[in-house]
Amino acid sequence: MDKLWQSFLVNIKREKLLVVANLVIMTVTFLVLGMFLNIITLSQTALRSLEEQAQLTVYFRDEFLEDQILNMKSELETDERVMEVKYVSKDDAFKIFTEINKDQPVLLESISRNILPASLEIKTKELADLSGMVSELEGREGVEEVKFYKEVIERFIAWSNAVYLIGLVLAVLFVIVSYAIVVVTIRLTISSKGSELEVLKLVGASDKYVKAPLVFQGTFFGFISAMVSSALLALLSWGGVSYGILPSKVALFFIPGVKLETVIYIVVLVFVLILSGVLLGFIGSSVAVKKYLKY
Amino acid sequence: MSQIEFRNVTKEYDPGFKALDDVSLTIDDGEFIFLVGPSGAGKSTLIKMLIREEFPSEGEVLFNEVPIAELPRDKLPDLRRRIGVVFQDFKLLNSKNVFENVAVALEVVDSPDEVIKNVVPNVLSMVGLVEKMFNFPKQLSGGEKQRLSIARALAHEPDVLVADEPTGMIDPKSTEEVIEILERINSLGTTIIMASHDQNIVNKLKKRVVRIEEGKIKSDKKGGRYYGQIMAKLLG
Repeated sequence: MDKLWQSFLVNIKREKLLVVANLVIMTVTFLVLGMFLNIITLSQTALRSLEEQAQLTVYFRDEFLEDQILNMKSELETDERVMEVKYVSKDDAFKIFTEINKDQPVLLESISRNILPASLEIKTKELADLSGMVSELEGREGVEEVKFYKEVIERFIAWSNAVYLIGLVLAVLFVIVSYAIVVVTIRLTISSKGSELEVLKLVGASDKYVKAPLVFQGTFFGFISAMVSSALLALLSWGGVSYGILPSKVALFFIPGVKLETVIYIVVLVFVLILSGVLLGFIGSSVAVKKYLKY
Repeated sequence: MSQIEFRNVTKEYDPGFKALDDVSLTIDDGEFIFLVGPSGAGKSTLIKMLIREEFPSEGEVLFNEVPIAELPRDKLPDLRRRIGVVFQDFKLLNSKNVFENVAVALEVVDSPDEVIKNVVPNVLSMVGLVEKMFNFPKQLSGGEKQRLSIARALAHEPDVLVADEPTGMIDPKSTEEVIEILERINSLGTTIIMASHDQNIVNKLKKRVVRIEEGKIKSDKKGGRYYGQIMAKLLG
């Protein structure tokens, strides 16, 4: 390991420009990859918070009594799809209405306290379940009307899916790009050391002796560039949280209803980026060595 | 028991073009043998098969009765340590000095630093380069470069030293020095196989001469002579 490290340092000294160029390219790639992950996370967080506000409202006929409504509420709360059910009595509805229209006394005088219906506000765990519940509830006894902002919610769902999909495709693309860059980087090193590697083989160097420094270099470059880019991202994210630009909690990809403290998310992001850097560096350089180092 | 044996070896690069055509040759331990013939005769192909840079299309090459083509990959470095090679174009590492160029042959087998410090000056003194230990290849003459290349090949104390046109790029005086070194190494028991078309050297040394033309062995004589193609035709 000591000799490997020494020959690596000598190589770095000898090919400063190539080393710097490689590190810059890989750092920028990981930075862009990290930024994409951040964009996906933030857009998911925004969509989740919009989803949480999406609900359907069931209005009841006046003759349907409060006990019956509360029975239905308890029944709905046991439904697996339902996240939250809130009962709004006739009195509550009037209070809300009064609050909203407090600047319009004429309007308030013209309606009686009893005119607004009692209702249940239902939020589901999955946005897509709202639509199905509407048709179920519409036929129920005592239900006068089920209100559901279908278009808005469907647009949410469409956006949400699009962001997942595009984000996932972009993240995969950037992983492929990073991989290709690592392969090209090692290929460049192999080209620049072409005759040296040939001589090493001719004087009886084992496969391992020739390959190990190149794989070590690829892995090390992957590690360093991922470290630098994740440090930059962590600094940016930390600044964003401190200045209140970023939320204090973010949604975790693909796991509905789960939120992470942003600080923990940054730690996870740094870990993921460094792990990706090391793995990509190792796999990419191993493949490049196998492909371009002729035996 | 012969040390090296080419048994009916044919090498066909493209269909119809045979670099070697049914070549059989045995070389004994401690011999000094010249492979002579014009460029493209197949001398280098023969040498490449010895260090397994090429595989025979037919036949087999044996080193101490072991078929070289069948050696497992992990035994290849060991073969290349036992058969040292010197090339016409030296194949030196220009970024390393004279000492390091020899040391690299030992470093690749994880020799301890103490061994490297002992062996390198020894082999450099054999080729007369101790004083230039810290010079870089670009500071050496052609002859010195070739001597350095020989020193590197000697670092593993090989059983066989193969020299592919070692004097092709150096002046007559340096050529004499290189030949003198090769003779000295041979006298210590190392087999020398030297490809050359320098008739002066071949004729002066009076060693075994194997003449190859168009991929075939045309003659194989101890104490043989070499006249080049035109002279050979004139002399019949």
